[in-house]
Amino acid sequence: MRTDLVFGMAGSGGDGIVSAGESLIAAAAAEGYHAIMTKSFGSQIRGGESSCRVRVATTEVLNPGGILDVAVALNWDDFMKFGAELTVGGSTLVLYDARTGVRPDALPLVGVRPRQVLAVPIADLSREHAGSERAKNSVILGLIAGFSGVAREGLLDGLRRKLAKKGDEVLRSAERAFAAGEAWAASHPLTEPMPLAKPAGGTAPRPLADGNEICAAAALFAGCRFFGGYPITPSTEIMQFLSREIWKYDGAVLQAEDEIAGIGAAVGASFAGVKAMTATSGPGMSLKSELTGLATIAELPLVIVNVQRGGPSTGMPTKPEQADLYQAAFSAHGDAVRPVLAPTSVTDTFWTTVQAFNVAERYQTPVILLSDQEIAQRKETLDVIDTGAIAIEERRRPAEAELQDYARFALTASGISPISHPGMRGGNYLASGIEHNERGAPTASGAVHARMNDKRAHKLDPLKRRRDLFRVFGDESAPLALLGWGSCAGMCREALAHARDLGLRAKLLVPYLLYPVAEEVYEDFFASVRAGLVVEQSHQGQLYRMLRMFLDLPRGVRSLARSGANPFMPFEVAEQLQRAAEALQRDGEDAREPQE
Amino acid sequence: MTTALHPAGQTMEPREFKSDLKPIWCPGCGDFGVLQALYRALSGVGRPPHEIAFVSGIGCSSRIPGYTTAYGFNSLHGRALPIAQGIKIANPELLVLVAGGDGDGFSIGGGHLPHAVRRNLDLTYVVMDNQIYGLTKGQLSPTSHRGLQTVTSGYGSLEEPVNPLLYTLAYGAGFVAQGTPADMPGLTSVIEEAIRFPGFAFVNVQSPCVTFGEAEWQLKAHKEHMKPLAGLGHDPADRLKAMALAAQYGEELYTGVFYRNPKPAPTYDALVAQRQAELRDRALPRERILELFRKDGGR
Amino acid sequence: MPIQHVDLSRLSLQDALDLATLVEEEAHERYLELADQMDQHRTPEAARFFRFMAENEAKHGARLAERRRALFGDAPRAVRRTMIFDVEAPDYDEARAFMTARAALDIALRCEQKAHAFFVEALRHVGELQVRALFTELRDEEVHHQDLVRREIERLPADADTGGDAFVDEPAAQ
Repeated sequence: MRTDLVFGMAGSGGDGIVSAGESLIAAAAAEGYHAIMTKSFGSQIRGGESSCRVRVATTEVLNPGGILDVAVALNWDDFMKFGAELTVGGSTLVLYDARTGVRPDALPLVGVRPRQVLAVPIADLSREHAGSERAKNSVILGLIAGFSGVAREGLLDGLRRKLAKKGDEVLRSAERAFAAGEAWAASHPLTEPMPLAKPAGGTAPRPLADGNEICAAAALFAGCRFFGGYPITPSTEIMQFLSREIWKYDGAVLQAEDEIAGIGAAVGASFAGVKAMTATSGPGMSLKSELTGLATIAELPLVIVNVQRGGPSTGMPTKPEQADLYQAAFSAHGDAVRPVLAPTSVTDTFWTTVQAFNVAERYQTPVILLSDQEIAQRKETLDVIDTGAIAIEERRRPAEAELQDYARFALTASGISPISHPGMRGGNYLASGIEHNERGAPTASGAVHARMNDKRAHKLDPLKRRRDLFRVFGDESAPLALLGWGSCAGMCREALAHARDLGLRAKLLVPYLLYPVAEEVYEDFFASVRAGLVVEQSHQGQLYRMLRMFLDLPRGVRSLARSGANPFMPFEVAEQLQRAAEALQRDGEDAREPQE
Repeated sequence: MTTALHPAGQTMEPREFKSDLKPIWCPGCGDFGVLQALYRALSGVGRPPHEIAFVSGIGCSSRIPGYTTAYGFNSLHGRALPIAQGIKIANPELLVLVAGGDGDGFSIGGGHLPHAVRRNLDLTYVVMDNQIYGLTKGQLSPTSHRGLQTVTSGYGSLEEPVNPLLYTLAYGAGFVAQGTPADMPGLTSVIEEAIRFPGFAFVNVQSPCVTFGEAEWQLKAHKEHMKPLAGLGHDPADRLKAMALAAQYGEELYTGVFYRNPKPAPTYDALVAQRQAELRDRALPRERILELFRKDGGR
Repeated sequence: MPIQHVDLSRLSLQDALDLATLVEEEAHERYLELADQMDQHRTPEAARFFRFMAENEAKHGARLAERRRALFGDAPRAVRRTMIFDVEAPDYDEARAFMTARAALDIALRCEQKAHAFFVEALRHVGELQVRALFTELRDEEVHHQDLVRREIERLPADADTGGDAFVDEPAAQ
């Protein structure tokens, strides 16, 4: 029995490939499996090449997976366009439409010999049993159910629910196509059968969501009552979700005239005392940087979500990358320090988003939440989230006594000064982007400016001691280490398992807090480390470089970084770590010399 | 007590709106008049300072919120309107004022103007129009006339100016007026009317810059050449007539109300409140928000 | 006239005294504001003169308030500041950075003339006898004030016109 199967499918938009993937993951979730689904498209609005990848497992899945177990190609031109995402290897079962006319021994996969290749008359079966070729995706689902047993009931249920509105005839033809796929699978047994076991945790249905929706839901949970933004791929779903729900909580969404107005309105809402958020991707972050700086100097709580995509500039709107870290930490001119948090999965996007709001409120600062296209737009079965156990924080408002002779920017010991809002009698003050004294009056005094910079920077110091914003996996005293953030973290957790299988003593650090750099946490982690890799999807290896700005890393810790749209595979990372371990051994005594 | 007086029903004094901060404006600046008119208008409206949010951009005139006792937000060049709208949506009970100069409002801020107008939140936008960039020392502005010589147009400006009055009318503003500190009662009156108007209200103020503006004569010219619209028999309910008059911006200095919509459209904030009232009952308790992702499609 | 919402024909003595007090208060505050502006813009002579005028207006106002209190005690005021518009107070646009003492005095002179003109015009509408008497008195006082200011102007040293902003730095961009 298999416990983990990765399906990859590609065709053109009209084939309903993504729809098939969605049906598959929905069915898997309904039967209690853990699953992740990612999609990838060409740039045409409809009808271009499209693909999806669905990973179904009996226990927790941490990332979309590596080499495909099953590759489905409706045509080879389209399939080959997704080479980086749909990796075929020696263990892959390839199913393709016989209509393509390609011979099984002459596939366009260079240098790869799949385990088994089957030319399936997918289009023909659709035409024969459903009366047209529109039902190809139902045939594919039948094949999958036939070969792996995955969620057969769930798939049929799903078909019924999805097509009920389109009328009986359509539903029945889909069911016939599905049955035809199953029958074909039954009459062509695999050289190596791949039945999927039942879910380890029982068959109760699991909720499904994508990272954007979860982010939006978490915002509502945290008390967000204003969203200002502008449509931009891959973040728009956050605004769309909130535009359906936020009114019910006496909140409002403003789709503004541009990115700047979006964050401007959010800044205004925060000034008015309301928890506020904006969301965008790289290009929008660039536009928003001036207002981010304003929120920093005016000490206004704000959550700014950047769903990172390929950059720079317009870049690759539908691909993930992790190259906006520098911008998150350092954009907005001046000594403007602001916290940067990053979720690692759809499930923990919930908790991380709530933390972003809590940090924003407590420290009266804009907080950047760095998600990325993969987490934001992949569908994932949710682990249990205990909302009752997640605390919500509110900004510190002035008490009655503090409203006598109120100073908005009072220099307190913690650096956090109580914040009033319009409507609060006695709390009147002038907020501004201009440097100001404790009362908010404009100043150009160097002494006051230095004190205010101190206030704004040092109020964040306690963040650096928040160990709950970091997770460590593996043997705490291991000499080998991986460091992965955002969507690389899940892949690194799998890589860690592979590394252990290779006999390596390794551990993994996953930071949720990226900035300010929590020096002590890193120093403690790296104390035992002789060699390691900081794994990330950016050409410059931004986190690695940023850590070196603030820390002395052990000499053997290197950057393993790649431009986005070139995903890492867990085994690949484990092998790199193995090579680092071997280099360590070769260097022998030298590697254990104390660092200078 | 006397029956000789006709008080306007106000309950506050202008000085309650005056802060301790001393304006940095040059003596003679038109903005002093605007500030004074604001104190008076606000005392007429009668909302206490702590219920007022006053947002501005960057520029000499944008310093104005700090000279009042209201909650002020001296924000970024060109961005006062979005910020003010966020404040008003978040708390529609507040009285929201927006102020800035002609550069702030019609150059860098120009892209926000049509949307602020059509969104029609209940707020008041006062622009101190002096046809120059004062704070940065004398560059031309979007309302400078063609041919104006400034430090960035030594050979004369090559551009026609924007027309703040015509733009706001064309974008659909329900209240458009113009004033000048040369006529304080008139200026006070249009500002108070603008504040009272339910919806987006725009007041353009011809507020001369004594340091970088055109010669001293500009100030005297205002007093001599201003033409009160009321005196011309203009009906402010006539939008097309208002636009015809507004088109003469730069040639004539009409003061008073160009246009006041006799049937003001519902404000954005009222529509938001209505929607919230309609949907409130459908809210899932926040601890159960994840039920929106139930597999049986519970959404 | 620089007043609104006031029916002069039916103005009572109490309100007339209050009105006149407010006129002085307004002038007092304005002169103080201009003095502050002059200080901010390093124009000390004009600042000094404006503070002197502010004091004068304060004294006039105090005297009127005293008379009002003697006759009408603490009865609430019906007249409001928003009913008058710079009756005796200088216009903001008259001041300039680096203005000379002579220019400052000229402002004061014009203000006294302005106030005089106000009372002259007001007298044409006033009904109540006691109010007529009061406004006549105040009208004549303004003449007296003008004389005082003129004498100050004559006393100015010959070079009170020179200087101004001839040697001043260019403004700094911000």
